[in-house]
Amino acid sequence: MSDANELTRRRFLGLAGQAGLTTFAARAIGVNLGLVEVLSAETKNGVQPFSFAIITDSHLFSIDNHKFDKALADAVAQVNALTPAVDLVVYTGDIAQNGREDQLVKGKKILSQLKAPLKVIPGEHDWYLDMGKAWNGLFGKETWSFDHKGVHFIGLNSILVKDFWTGAGLTPLQRMSTMEMLESPIAGPWGVRDAQLEFLRKDVKKLSASQAVVIFTHSPLWDYYPRWNFQTEDAPQIREILSKFDHVTSLHGHVHQTIYNKFANISSAGALSTSWPWPYPPVKLDYPGSQMNQSDPANVKDGMGTQSVTFDASGGGKVAYEPFANSLTPFLQDGVKV
Amino acid sequence: MKITNNKVYLGIGAVSIGLLGAVSLWARPPFTDAQVAEQQQELLDVVNKGRDLWHGSNPAMSTNGLACGNCHPDAAASNPNTFPKFVPQLAKVAPMREMINWCIVHPQAGKELDPTGSDMVALEAYAVYLYRGQKIEPGYTLPLPPDPVKSGVGYPHTPSGIGVDK
Repeated sequence: MSDANELTRRRFLGLAGQAGLTTFAARAIGVNLGLVEVLSAETKNGVQPFSFAIITDSHLFSIDNHKFDKALADAVAQVNALTPAVDLVVYTGDIAQNGREDQLVKGKKILSQLKAPLKVIPGEHDWYLDMGKAWNGLFGKETWSFDHKGVHFIGLNSILVKDFWTGAGLTPLQRMSTMEMLESPIAGPWGVRDAQLEFLRKDVKKLSASQAVVIFTHSPLWDYYPRWNFQTEDAPQIREILSKFDHVTSLHGHVHQTIYNKFANISSAGALSTSWPWPYPPVKLDYPGSQMNQSDPANVKDGMGTQSVTFDASGGGKVAYEPFANSLTPFLQDGVKV
Repeated sequence: MKITNNKVYLGIGAVSIGLLGAVSLWARPPFTDAQVAEQQQELLDVVNKGRDLWHGSNPAMSTNGLACGNCHPDAAASNPNTFPKFVPQLAKVAPMREMINWCIVHPQAGKELDPTGSDMVALEAYAVYLYRGQKIEPGYTLPLPPDPVKSGVGYPHTPSGIGVDK
């Protein structure tokens, strides 16, 4: 089977699983049923219906023609093929595996094939070899905000840890290796820290309560499983700053899996990676249906993919997971309101 | 055959001595505290070696940089307490070590380990250690996560670097 046919088959399986054959058929002729529905809705708060995509956690190695290179290229092709086209793409961290500049350069080159504009935040795998020097050189500031069609977008760097390397006399490579191990207890919890909290305070100060807000971080803004840094240490302060809004959508990478939660005025959703899926940690979830099906290790793309987010005129969003293979539970198949 | 009284006495004596010996052996503590501590340390040393191997300390196990820990942090979803079981990839009932070798050869594109070698024993020891106390569930197919926070990983360890991309 050719690569193109294989991609088409996986795309079919993913879409069929995600939204059912009816939606798939509608998309094939260029009609997105969800968008048809929201376009007829009354516009509120200045939000104009649109969609964007999320790609995350590609973990590129320096090895030539690595299978993760193709996975990221497949993700780009998948996003480019979305109908209707997305307005922008957000990458939520971990382009590289070992923080090397050549890995980041390779990722930027593959991502440059996206038709839509790209915004990027870093993950820990991008950062700790040179403390973000190469990343900043390639992708600019890691803290940003902008408005698009009535929605306020915010990106923060949530993988900042307290200095564990200077006192221990670790080399940059040892520091990076420590951060690479998900379950390493050495680095401690991640956070956005004071400067970004101040940025966030100033950024939202003049916004009204009804403003639609989307915030991107690499790690979730709730204590999902702190042992694997499925958390952000200063998320309580972030949530407090954002508590002025009627509703906030929090979207994150890092967890390599579908996951949804709702707390106070925030809806949160995690993203499929393009590299490998992670098992669900041993915690009780409020929305257990948001776990995707167990991935098949014999299927090299099962449990991975991209996601698109559609905003309707009321300011409400919906995440549509776009798996490379069919791995969605009924809870996920028609999209998740965020 | 005629059994004399002497032979009966001899038989009773032999049985009594045997019983006495067995009871003595039963009653004797098999190992001293120091011996138990030493044996436990030997196990933990192998578990630690397994943890390093799980995170890429043997380059022969991977040609693409991936290690067991990429997909199985804290050995999650490795399910050592469910083996032997039917493994679809192998089309037979297999022990965990054959599944480990499948992962090494396929997702990691590496060279399979000697199934009876010390590296394989260490990998198994690490996974089993993190699942200690969990119920044995032969054949169970869904992921059974360990609870490392509850079970405790509390043994000393120094990071050794991950994968071939150092």
